[in-house]
Amino acid sequence: METLTLTTLAALNLLFSGNAELWEIIAISFRVSGVAILVATPPALLAAFFLTYQRFPGRRLLISINSTFLSVPAVVVGLTFFILLSRQGPLGEWKLLFTQTAMVLGQIALAFPILVAMGHSALQAADRRAWETARTLGANPLRALFTIMREARFGLMAALLAAFGRIIAEVGASMMLGGNILHYTRNIPTAIALESSKGEFAQGIALGLVLLTLAFTLNALLQHIQGKGQPVT
Amino acid sequence: MTTPLFQRLARWLVVAILFAAGSAGADNNPNKTIRLATTTSTDNAGLLAELLPPFTASTGYPVHVIAVGTGKALRMGRDGDVDLVLVHARAAEDKFVAQGYGEKRYGVMYNDFVLVGPESDPAAIAAAKDATTALKKLADHQAIFVSRGDDSGTHKKELSLWKRAAIEPNGDGYREAGQGMGKVLQIASELDAYTLTDRGTWLAYQGKSPLKIAFQGDPLLFNPYGIIAVNPKRYPDINHRGADALIKWMISPDGQQRIGDFRIGDNQLFTPAADAGEFAAFSHGQ
Amino acid sequence: MSDPVILALSALNKRFGKREVLRDIAFELRPGECTLLSGGNGAGKTTLLRILSGLERPDRGRIDTGKGPLSWRRSKAALQKRVLYLHQQPYMFDGSVRYNLGYALPGGVPKPLRNALIDTAIDWAELGPLDETPAKSLSGGERQRVSLARARLRNPQILLLDEPTANLDQAARRRTLDLLKCFKQEGVSLLLASHDPMHFSSLIDRHLHLYDGRLAALEDQKLMQIPPLHTLASLRSTA
Repeated sequence: METLTLTTLAALNLLFSGNAELWEIIAISFRVSGVAILVATPPALLAAFFLTYQRFPGRRLLISINSTFLSVPAVVVGLTFFILLSRQGPLGEWKLLFTQTAMVLGQIALAFPILVAMGHSALQAADRRAWETARTLGANPLRALFTIMREARFGLMAALLAAFGRIIAEVGASMMLGGNILHYTRNIPTAIALESSKGEFAQGIALGLVLLTLAFTLNALLQHIQGKGQPVT
Repeated sequence: MTTPLFQRLARWLVVAILFAAGSAGADNNPNKTIRLATTTSTDNAGLLAELLPPFTASTGYPVHVIAVGTGKALRMGRDGDVDLVLVHARAAEDKFVAQGYGEKRYGVMYNDFVLVGPESDPAAIAAAKDATTALKKLADHQAIFVSRGDDSGTHKKELSLWKRAAIEPNGDGYREAGQGMGKVLQIASELDAYTLTDRGTWLAYQGKSPLKIAFQGDPLLFNPYGIIAVNPKRYPDINHRGADALIKWMISPDGQQRIGDFRIGDNQLFTPAADAGEFAAFSHGQ
Repeated sequence: MSDPVILALSALNKRFGKREVLRDIAFELRPGECTLLSGGNGAGKTTLLRILSGLERPDRGRIDTGKGPLSWRRSKAALQKRVLYLHQQPYMFDGSVRYNLGYALPGGVPKPLRNALIDTAIDWAELGPLDETPAKSLSGGERQRVSLARARLRNPQILLLDEPTANLDQAARRRTLDLLKCFKQEGVSLLLASHDPMHFSSLIDRHLHLYDGRLAALEDQKLMQIPPLHTLASLRSTA
């Protein structure tokens, strides 16, 4: 018990004394996951839109496939991309393995199905008349699309936060694709894995605290957003 | 193996990401960066953190260290995913070179393995006259032994020792962890078990463990490290110049001096062991 | 009549699964004319309106907007230019009344003109004090007025209304009718779907009745007062 208290204190000390290496790891985490979300969101929301508003054969199948991808473990995604990006793999000549770009790719693959699934249900929950009203009032399809996204913005924001929460905390894909290279691809989860394997619990706990704080902030934000999303009447 | 259409589609995606990532790639010039796959033992002990900054300062090559087990490190070298490897599994290294994946193996340094276990030493291996006897005692007592079980250099060494002792390591006490050295030491500490570890990791870890060194000193336990550049004939676009520069630096008198000077507490971890003749030949060849 | 036809339908068919909702529908719309489309619940009124506004695709048939025969894609675009469809319960975007009205204006309108136009529409529909109110919090009558003001800013040739006075009280119904009269006077062609035509007697010029997917013209104003409509509907459901 005492060691836990002591390591936690040491962890807080590390965090607040501005330990450069620690904060660099945190910055890498946020940068990689932030870019992944930025890249994944537009196509994912477009896919969610097509699944909601277009009737085409295979639509239900696509929804089922997407739901299946929701539960694919991060390490499997990591392994798949590892094989693709390895020099022996089909995309080997790009030399992306063990770069931040590879991590971003893996995280996009993890975030995409979450964004599609939650975006789909957010758009489905929104009123269909929003689309029809926009169109009949002269909005072109693109403007109407932005309008329904705006109408469903709380649900869509929730999707974004949930996806971000998942990818910033996942270790499997980042470890395999980034290689846990110091100053470059070492992010919060891979650093925790490494530090705890070395027995350096203080740094592990410090980074864990960052993730915990992040999770709390995201959840509080989600609660707030969902409260706002309730219909007024 | 390549699929052009798939590549074209994926290229779009990557361009988009690179664009979005902006600075992500910028501070790491891919032409200069050296990728070194090495074992957790060198990295976790802190040796590379000590050695690489002066190397980068004098040559301008940044080094990306990917710390994995020896098996995985050699595999990465074989697949051309890294530029060179620094590992400790002599037989596998020789095979790596013989099969044409690696160019030439250079000895760099050695440390040794030790058997650690509970302070009470229930299997009484401290009194053993050599490593094989110590293992036999462990087997006889059915003492709990945690194995790396991850195809690492340490794991390979452990298996070769069991083989030498003519014991099939599958008794009740034998536990395969499938994890890195630090993790395995943690597991052994929690289980009050014996395990085989390299001295470097042990020194870095001993302050946090109730275990003690139970057996050491047998020449069989010596652990030589080799450094091998990935064969540029196989992968013409790897950073072979960088790999050569790093090898040359590691086996140079300066690098060797730094290896010998590296300490954890008061303990020297690695003994420099480069062949002066090889260094001379290397310098000459350049 | 000398007025030009602005929309002509012929041989229009639509089925949902096995159910034939519309069969061989044909009629024409003229400017400044108000057409009542009656029929029981489920007679196909809403489907017909949605096809005319381009929201639903017919299975067969011709929709002529004065440009000759077109593919569905192009007639859909032509329809969306000319026709405005008002839902039975108007949808309010998440924003103020002013935001909702502004939505109907094209993006290129400069800001001062934009504000002036919105102000006119607000005065027209007597929405003055509700200017900055969140539209989603409005009552049914107020929503109806916002949706009509929005329609006016859009300036359509044809206005399709789906049960515009359902769920409204007496006063709100009166105000809606007054606003509709304005549209008519300005030459907009109105097509009103209602299963209860009595309310619009002061407004309508002709009366079309949908029964079992077919359209019948009831030219005689008197027929409107015969109340067979719900009777017909119940007959149909027992048939």
